[in-house]
This record gives sequence, structure tokens and C-alpha cells, in this order.
Amino acid sequence: MFLSITQFFGHFHPILVHLPIGILLIALLLQWLAGREKYKSFYAPVPFLLLCGMISAIAACISGYLLSLSDDYSNDIVSWHMWMGISVAIVSVVLYLKERKIRLAQQIRFLPAILFVLIMITGHLGGMLTHGSDYLSEPFADIFSDNNTGSVVIKPLPDVQEAVAYRDIVQPILQTRCYSCHGPGKQKGKLRLDDSVSIMKGGEDGKVIAAHQADESEMIKRMLLPIDNDDHMPPREKPQPTESQINLVRWWIGEGADFSKKVKDMSQPESLKPTLLALQEVPELKMTKVIVPTEPVEPAPLAALEKLKEQGIIVLPVAKESNYLLANFVTHSSVTSEDLNLLLPLKKQLTWLKMGFTDLSDDKMAAIKQLPNLTRLSIEHTAVSDKGIAELQSNKKLQYLNIVGTNVTSGGLSHLKELKELRDVYAYRTKIVASECKELISALPEIKIETGNYEVPTLSSDTVVVKVASSN
Amino acid sequence: MTRKEVFNQQLYNEARQRVLELHTRRHFLKESAMGLGALALGSLFGCRSGSPANEVSFDPAHPLMPKVPHFAGQARSVIYLHMAGAPSQLELFDYKPELMKMDGQDCPKSLLEGKRFAFIRGVPKMLGAQAKFQQHGESRAWVSERLPHLSTIVDELSFLKAVTTDQFNHAPAQLMMHTGSARLGRPSLGSWVTYGLGTDNQNLPGFVVLTSGGQNPDAGKSVWGSGFLPSVYQGVQCRSVGDPVLFIKDPEGMDRDLRKASIDAINVANQEQYKTFNDPEILSRISQYEMAYKMQISVPDVMDIKNEPDYIHEMYGTKPGRESFANNVLLARKLVEKGVRFVQLFDWGWDSHGASSDGALDVGFINKCRQVDKCITALILDLKQRGLLDETLVVWGGEFGRTPMLENREGKKMPFKGRDHHTEAFTMWMAGGGIKRGGSYGETDEIGYSAASGKVEPFDIQATILHQLGFDHEHFTYPFQGRPFRLTDTRGRVISEIIG
Repeated sequence: MFLSITQFFGHFHPILVHLPIGILLIALLLQWLAGREKYKSFYAPVPFLLLCGMISAIAACISGYLLSLSDDYSNDIVSWHMWMGISVAIVSVVLYLKERKIRLAQQIRFLPAILFVLIMITGHLGGMLTHGSDYLSEPFADIFSDNNTGSVVIKPLPDVQEAVAYRDIVQPILQTRCYSCHGPGKQKGKLRLDDSVSIMKGGEDGKVIAAHQADESEMIKRMLLPIDNDDHMPPREKPQPTESQINLVRWWIGEGADFSKKVKDMSQPESLKPTLLALQEVPELKMTKVIVPTEPVEPAPLAALEKLKEQGIIVLPVAKESNYLLANFVTHSSVTSEDLNLLLPLKKQLTWLKMGFTDLSDDKMAAIKQLPNLTRLSIEHTAVSDKGIAELQSNKKLQYLNIVGTNVTSGGLSHLKELKELRDVYAYRTKIVASECKELISALPEIKIETGNYEVPTLSSDTVVVKVASSN
Repeated sequence: MTRKEVFNQQLYNEARQRVLELHTRRHFLKESAMGLGALALGSLFGCRSGSPANEVSFDPAHPLMPKVPHFAGQARSVIYLHMAGAPSQLELFDYKPELMKMDGQDCPKSLLEGKRFAFIRGVPKMLGAQAKFQQHGESRAWVSERLPHLSTIVDELSFLKAVTTDQFNHAPAQLMMHTGSARLGRPSLGSWVTYGLGTDNQNLPGFVVLTSGGQNPDAGKSVWGSGFLPSVYQGVQCRSVGDPVLFIKDPEGMDRDLRKASIDAINVANQEQYKTFNDPEILSRISQYEMAYKMQISVPDVMDIKNEPDYIHEMYGTKPGRESFANNVLLARKLVEKGVRFVQLFDWGWDSHGASSDGALDVGFINKCRQVDKCITALILDLKQRGLLDETLVVWGGEFGRTPMLENREGKKMPFKGRDHHTEAFTMWMAGGGIKRGGSYGETDEIGYSAASGKVEPFDIQATILHQLGFDHEHFTYPFQGRPFRLTDTRGRVISEIIG
């Protein structure tokens, strides 16, 4: 009975503490301002405020002591908080006496400053007890460091199967959902969940984990109770674990609550697989093999770009903030040597060139030869033949070549065996036969020569229309 | 002084104060400190205002000029094959032996509680797959006997097995898929893409729509509408029979020179108008006249499949001169080859409820499959051999899926076997344009009722398409009604699992 009454008064501590903080700080502020001629009149309420602050500080100390008896808190911070609080009360008494011109108190100087510092420290310690030791710094954790150990964000795992089930999956859940009351700062119900020994030891009501028997374990039972049940954990007003988090903890206990096993060594029920997979990092977005040279290049001369545009030739950067260019002759099918000369001022930047379906011919290929950074070249359905292809020998960066519908032969293609970067050659409707290109393929083992000529055979069923059988 | 005079005096003083403030150093310092502080605070809060680098420029005089995406995308054009009416994933790609075992049994209560269907009422029977399945290719993808051609090229495709949507009626679901909203008024995917990228060939529309199957999609022309984007970005519907675009020929007695002269005269008048009002839409109009004039020549040319060689007709199974999905597919290839940015195909007739023989899974559905199987397979292979598959993203799908239950419209037995609309799981596939070859993402539960893992929604598909074209969908916006709008609204995740 006695205990419950003390607990009852103890529970007033969180309200009472705010009174001395507020009252004493305003008293200090007014006292400080009153020191100036202009605000002299502010002094009048100071002694009264100090009296109120003093009384409330004493009340806060008493209620705080009663609360600490419930013993849910770790002793270290509590004792500091207690002695600091008592100091606040004592200093405020002395300060009040000084204001009342009691002689003894006159000797001590800097009292207001001391009191101010004490209030700050006591308040902060109290905050740590209630909200966890990293409560204040948490919002800044992301700003100040990328790899904050106290961070409560559950980070995705690179490979969930390689993860240690406790360290990488269960512990972060406990850390975010349980540590604030059952961690280093507080041990409500004498339960600590931040190290393996304490977890298995349990709290004042006994063990919380029964290995291999997840549904018999107090921890799981409590989490699964309806949220308005008084025994539900975490308490209603605290952040709740998600369903999948509960399932993960339950699975870990069911698998024996082992602290070092890896996920891959534990049996994984079908229903849990998606949950486990969800913990895994989504692979970084891959920039697929879009071919753009990596070396930096200066911007192309604007005048040259304008001239091409006047001719109706499309010239564009390949991407925003890239100086590399693509040129497309899609609506400019009669290509003159002058047009091709317009490309030369851009020879460093030009990396993709589309000249399909134009009247490009062998004699005009000499201009293309002078484009050293060309990676993609489309000259399909043009009059280009072996002679023109031979000109490409100096385009060392060429990776993609589309010569569909040209007169190029296997022999012509073999001119390109020095182009070490060449990967894709589209040679449909040409005279190229892949089996005749052995020399080229042995020089460039990674090359793919696509000669196409795919057929989609017409099946007998393709043209038959199914009808309803006339009688059933 | 009267009240009015007092009031006037106050007003005067206030105005004078304001003017004087502009001259004082104190005011200047205070305002600059506060103003800069507020700006700094705004950026500290991490408000992601679109950086200028990500904004799409819009030149009203040249609205379709090619533009640069956020980053170098793998795809340069898109062919979107929409099977309007929603094909049954359970007869094509989603192989469910467990469902076969339940064939003919009553549907378990747990699947029906709290659910609404378009037509199913009461307790329907389960319906096993109405086709035989087999694994194909190196990717061991399950494809049914309904698609004998497509099953030979599964290694070119990436399947999305657990697509979901939140609309179970055709029109809103189609709008959802193409505009990111079930309601009217949003721009379609093709409009967004042409707005962001323009188009390479200025003599052809940037966004072409082709329909087949005898009907337009249920959502009407809004599925290729431009919504709040400038109207120049809406899809141009072309016909595969007769004139590709209505009224594209000059009227009889009007020759080309006269047409040019009249367009020039109209443009001069419009220029005058522009000088007076400075309305950019007028510049848009001028450019559209010019484009239309050029298209009179180029569109009939590119839209004519008669000149294609016989082996191509043989490959696609096309017969020139009649409206068919196959003809449209061949046209799509031709258009992309000529630099059209976005080709949208709709094929109507996939709504297999079982209410009629056309909508029966064992009759009409088989015929629909036969109409699309050969030509889609030919499209993929033809793009591949022409070196276009790398830069052309092909997307196939419907607007939703179909139930693992036999439809019982109004609680009655239906004349044919069919399935009702289903939002919780269906299959789509993508190919080319940097999509993984032989990929598959997502799984449904053992009876194919709902997504078990790898669930994606229309926003994710839109985000992926934009990503392949070089856009970060979160920064691809258009200012409208005072705020930036985006295709994926507040949602969307690029499905990196199927990017190759």
C-alpha cells in the first residue's frame, strides 16, 4: 500500500519538474534585466518568483525521489539527476535568502549563473531518462555523420541470406522499439534487451524468451495482445512494431533465438520469404549499357551547332549536363559533302551518328573517318559498301554499327578487326555471312554480328478461326 | 477631423513609411538578413524544389523539336501494345497447378470476404487454366499453348507477374494505366514522353495511336489525350485502312502550291496576331500548320505497308488493305524506324467474360491470341535484326487481370467459360530498350489470386518506362494550377529488377 502511494506521488514528478524550470528561469531573466537602468521596475516580482521556484524545486525533488524508488531506471543517470536536482533546490533557497537580505547568503557570488547551469544539466539528464540518451542529438545524426552508431534507422541489408539474424534483423527492431524503456537508460520491469545475456535472463516476471517456442514467449505474447490491453508491449503511446517486424522476431525465437546464426542457416517458411527479401537492399539502379565516352570534353562551338540546325539536322547533347553530342539526319536524306564538313568542328563531341535511309555513299565516308569519339554509327539502308566500311578503321571507339540493308560483305567487315571496342554489328539484309567472319570474330571475341533473317513460321493454327461446336 | 480624414491620414502615413523604409540602411540590413535566413532555412528543410537542370524546356514555336532527357536513356522510342479488355494471365503466362486442382470447386469464402467484383455475385466456382503450359527458353518462362510463337522468344522478354491496379472497370483502369489517374484530365504516357523528348522526325507526328479489334478502347480518346499539357502533345490517331489521317489529302482541284500559299497566308495572319497578343499558343498553331503541310506527304508514305517486301508480310502475317492488329504492329515498326517517338496500339476484344462465344476462353480468346501471337513475335525479332530493339522499348499488357474464378454473372451459370475483371494480379511484359533479357519479377500466390511478392502498380510501370527513356520520374513535371504535376503523382518506383 505504502509503495503504491509513493508511486502515485512519484508519478507527479514529470509535471512538477517543469514548474521550477520555468519559474526560476523567468526569475533569473527578470533579475538580470533589472540590473539595467531602463528595466529597473522588473525587479519587483523577483523575490516572489524565487520563492515559488524554490518551493516547486523542493516538491520536484521529493516527487522525483519517490519515482526513482520504482527502480525502473538505471542508477547512474538517476543519481546524477537526483543530486543535480537537489543542488538546484538548495541554490534556489540560497538565492531567495540572498534577495531577502539574509546576511550569510550575501557572501556567495555568481549564484544566478550557477543556478542557470544546474537547471540546464538537471533538465537534460531528466530528458535522457525519459526519452533515451540520444533523444536530443537524434534529429541531427544524419547531418553530422553518415554512419551514426546510435542511429535508429533500420538500414537495408546487402544480402539478407548472408545476414546474422540477430545482429542485422532482430537487434535493430529491438533497438527502435524496446531500448527506450528496456535499454541502458531504463530497465522497466527490470528487463534489459540490449545484450544477449540480459535478453535471455528476462525481467522481474521471469524469462521473456522461450527458445524454439515463439508463441509461448512472453515477448511475442505481449506484442500480439490487443493494443488497448494494459499488458500490450510496446505501450500504446509508443511507436509500434509493424506486423512483419513481429513476424521476424517470432521467427527468430522459433528458430532457437540464436545470437550468431546467419539467415541462410535457418529454415525459412514460405510465408516469411517476402518479408526477408524486403529487408534486402534494392540493387542500385543500373545505367544500362548506354554508350557515352567517359572522358570529359569541352562544349561544342555554338556556331557549328547552329549551322547544322539550319540544315534541319538534329544535333543534341546525349544527356543533360553532357557535352557529348548525337546527330540525326532523319529528315535530311540528301547528304552533301558540305553537310558532312559541318560535323567536323564537333568531331571531339560527336559520339552518336544516325544517317540511316540517307543517300550517304562510299565517297562521303571520309568525313565520318575524322570523328574519333564516335561510339554509335547507324548507316542502314544507304549505298555504303566495303569501300566505305574500310574508312571506319580509324574510328577506334566505335561500339555499335548498324549497316542493315547495305552492300557490305563479310570481306568488307573484316577491315574492322582493329576496332577493339566494337561489340554490336547489325548486318541484316547485307551480304555478310556470320560463318565467313571467323577472322574478325577471333580478333574481337566479344563481337556480335546480327545477320537476322528470322522467320516466324506460319503454323496451321495461325489462320484457323475457332468456332463454337454446332451441337453440344 | 472626420473619420474619413483620419483614415486617409493613416493611409498616407503608412505609404510614406513604406517609401522611407526603402531608403534606410536599417531596413535593408534587416530584410536581407531575414530574407537570406528564410531562404537558407527553406533549403535546410530539404524542400526538393525542382532544380533548373531538371526542368523541361518548352518552346511554343517548335514544340516537337527533339529535347534532351535528364540522363542518357537506353530507349529512344516506345511501342506500347495494349490488349484492351484485359487478357487472362491465367491462360497465358501465370501457370498455377494448384488452381487446376481446385477447378470446379466453390471459391473459398476467404477470397470473397470484403471483395467486390465487376460481375461475380455470391459464391463462384474456381476455374483452372483453360490451356496447357510449358516452360520455354533458357529463362524457363512458363507460356501456354495459346502463344506458340511468343514462347520461342521468351528470352528476349522480361515478365512482370504481379502487376496490380485499383480499378476494376475498363475505362478507369485504362486511364490509370496510361495517365496515372482513374479520372479524366491527365496527360497520357505518350504525351508526357513527347513533351519531354520531342520527336526526331519533324515530318511525322511524335505520338501515333493505332487501334484495332473493331472498337476504340473503353476510355475513349482520353487514353491518348494531352490533358493539361499543350494540345500539340496529344496522340495522333491514324487509321490502317483508307487515308491514314482523315482529310489528309488536298481537296480535289487544289494543288500543292495553292495549299502552300494558303497556309503561308494563314501564317502571316497568325504572325500579326502574335505581335498583338504575344500568346505562345499562336506560335504553336503556326508550327502545327507547317507540320501538317509536311505530313501530307510523309504520313501517307510511311503509313503504307503495301511496299513492304513479301518476306516481311510473311513474317508478320499481315495482309495490306484491311484493319488488323498485325498491320498496326508492322506499322509501329515502320514508324519507329522513321523516328516516331511513341507508338500506342490498342487491340480491342480481350474481355473474356464468357457471356458470348467471342468472350469465351475456349473460343474467342483463342482467336484473339492467334491474331496477336505471330505479329508480336515478328515485331520483336524484326526490331532485333534491324538493330532497333536496343533503343525501342516494347510494352505489352492489359488494364487489369482476370479472376481465378469462373464468372457467374448475376449469380447464374454463363453460356461459356469466362473470367471476371480482377485487380489484384496480372501479367505484363517488356522487351528491348534496356530491359533485362529473359527476366521475370514478381510472383502470385498458388492460385494466382493476388501478388505474393514483387508487386508492382501502374505507377511503377510508368516510372520504369520514363527511366528507360532517360527521365527521373520524380523530377519530370509540368506546372499546372499552381503546382508541378507528374505522371506518377506521388508514387512510382523504377522496377530495377527487370532492367538489364
